[in-house]
Amino acid sequence: MLNKLSPLLKSALADFRRDKVRTALTSLGIMIGVMSVVMLIALGLGLKNYISGQFENLGANLVMILPGSGFTGEGGGSFGGQGLVGGAEFDEKDIRDLRKVEGLEYVVPLVFKSGLIQGEKDEKVASIMGVNEDYFELMNSKILSGVIFDKTDVSNNAKVAVLGYSLAEEIFEKANEAVGKSVRTQGIRLKVIGVIEKTGDREQDSAVIMPYSTTFGSINPQKTFWSIYLGVPSEEEVESVSSEAEKVLLKRYEEDDFAITEQAEILTTVNQIFGMINLVLVAIGSISLLVGGVGIMNIMYATVTERTKEIGIRRAVGARRSDILTQFLTESLVLSLFGGLAGLLLSAALVALIRIWFPVAMNLTAVIVAFGVSSAIGIFFGVFPAKKAAALSPIEAIRYE
Amino acid sequence: MNSSIIELKDIYKSWMIGDEEEFVALKGVNLSIKQGEFSAITGPSGSGKSTLMHVIGLLDKPTSGEVVIDNKNILSLDDDETSTLRSEFVGFVFQQFNLLNKLTVQENILLPTTYARKKFAYNPLERAEYLMDRFGILSKRSSYPNKISGGQQQRVAIARSLIMNPRLILADEPTGNLDTKTGDEIMKLFQELNETEKITIVLVTHEPDIAKKTRRSIHVLDGMVTTT
Ligand SMILES: Nc1ncnc2c1ncn2[C@@H]1O[C@H](COP(=O)(O)OP(=O)(O)O)[C@@H](O)[C@H]1O
Ligand SMILES: [Mg+2]
Repeated sequence: MLNKLSPLLKSALADFRRDKVRTALTSLGIMIGVMSVVMLIALGLGLKNYISGQFENLGANLVMILPGSGFTGEGGGSFGGQGLVGGAEFDEKDIRDLRKVEGLEYVVPLVFKSGLIQGEKDEKVASIMGVNEDYFELMNSKILSGVIFDKTDVSNNAKVAVLGYSLAEEIFEKANEAVGKSVRTQGIRLKVIGVIEKTGDREQDSAVIMPYSTTFGSINPQKTFWSIYLGVPSEEEVESVSSEAEKVLLKRYEEDDFAITEQAEILTTVNQIFGMINLVLVAIGSISLLVGGVGIMNIMYATVTERTKEIGIRRAVGARRSDILTQFLTESLVLSLFGGLAGLLLSAALVALIRIWFPVAMNLTAVIVAFGVSSAIGIFFGVFPAKKAAALSPIEAIRYE
Repeated sequence: MNSSIIELKDIYKSWMIGDEEEFVALKGVNLSIKQGEFSAITGPSGSGKSTLMHVIGLLDKPTSGEVVIDNKNILSLDDDETSTLRSEFVGFVFQQFNLLNKLTVQENILLPTTYARKKFAYNPLERAEYLMDRFGILSKRSSYPNKISGGQQQRVAIARSLIMNPRLILADEPTGNLDTKTGDEIMKLFQELNETEKITIVLVTHEPDIAKKTRRSIHVLDGMVTTT
């Protein structure tokens, strides 16, 4: 087999050398077909990775209570206050009421504001958050250095702060050296007691987090909360706890004054959007594959007269039909593999480059499908006209117009 | 010396023109080519000479009749067997040369050997070199056909037809695309091959001068062989 194949390969390679334009165009068609599909899917996956990275930090067992009718679609970030409208102003009484709900693990009030934060080295406009000690558990925050504040700090209005990694890094010499030093914001001075690890969520990472009671001075004189987060032990209980919480709040507020949003619900919506994005990507991929395929087809058909004549000549000097088919199959295979590999390598290089800024990813299925379909088109349109030409009598093939 | 190497019996060849009309190019041809013969097929343009040559050269199948080689009707062979026979039995020289422009002169001459199924009694490359040397194209061995003259291209084609050492050489107006002087040289080459190497040659020509030089004249008129 191998010694039968090597002269074939040699003759195919010799053909390519003398037929540079056709060779280049055909492999280019296959290359573009493979590349466009792989790249489109990689970009789509990147988008998906980017967005889900933003959501990952919020557990699925989180229930958010927001004033007004909840997310309006604007803003978009997990703490983007712009998206909220009017409604209830939550206070400590709501927290006490909600704590009575059966099956709740955590009740976390949230004060949220943005403002200038001064550190030792630099100052920066960032998020100012007031929460209770349970917040860190609820958000799965991991401590990088120092400690987080506790219940006592909350009840004592302690002037302490926990910094997000990016903020700590920017306003101090080194992120882990911030502990023990102090930050100033809104006219108060806070002692940094801890820095939490990078989460990937931009707002979390650049926040200064303090006991909510500490904000009750200059930061938040009304003593109201921007939002209340509820933590539920398991996903199954999310539904029942949400409706219990709703009942509690309805005693005090109108239905339109607040909204209860389950994180799982948001995730489901996000996943639906991803499903749609994927579908669109597959459609775009298929179209580019088709375009690539038509390109390959055209190149193959443009040379069909010349190649039919060639087949006639080869048959006239003794080539069997199987010789012709083997020759054209080898040729198409080599062309497809060459083009396909070139497309893959180029995509891999591009993906590696783009990854510096954006979490794109290669998808094995996309690679296999793109490679497979492009090669199949290349091979089919290489072999099919050859098969037709080989079926003619040698003289018919030579005289083919 | 007088055994026939190929025999045509009652050969018809026709094509459908459109859906209804049938065009008959060969109308019951009987012909026998003997070992060592040098024959010329003559006749007016469109009389069926090329069609006849293609049937003899196994390049096309007749509509009906028998083509007998070694007491066997080769029309009953399958395509692989016909291809093998085409490779070993006959060498064809076309008016339009029909060389592959992407192969070098030497590769064109050796092309039939790449499809050969038989064991060679000689070294094909040496034979190719011998033929190129003899036909004065050895210096062009690495050139491509579209870079050499018409006369040289036809010499390459003749060398290709001889590389397998076939029993029969067919040439369809081999000088038709050449000037008179070059044509004469090519004709001399055929004569020489027949005289010195006893190669059986059939060639088509409508030039009476050339026909006179051959030993036998086969006249074709309106799809029928009139004088042999
Ligand atoms: N494939 C074909 N289909 C239909 N008619 C053909 C075909 N090939 C040849 N002919 C016709 O058959 C006749 C004989 O052609 P040909 O053998 O080439 O003549 P010659 O070589 O003597 O000039 C011509 O009239 C030609 O038009
Ligand atoms: Mg003719």
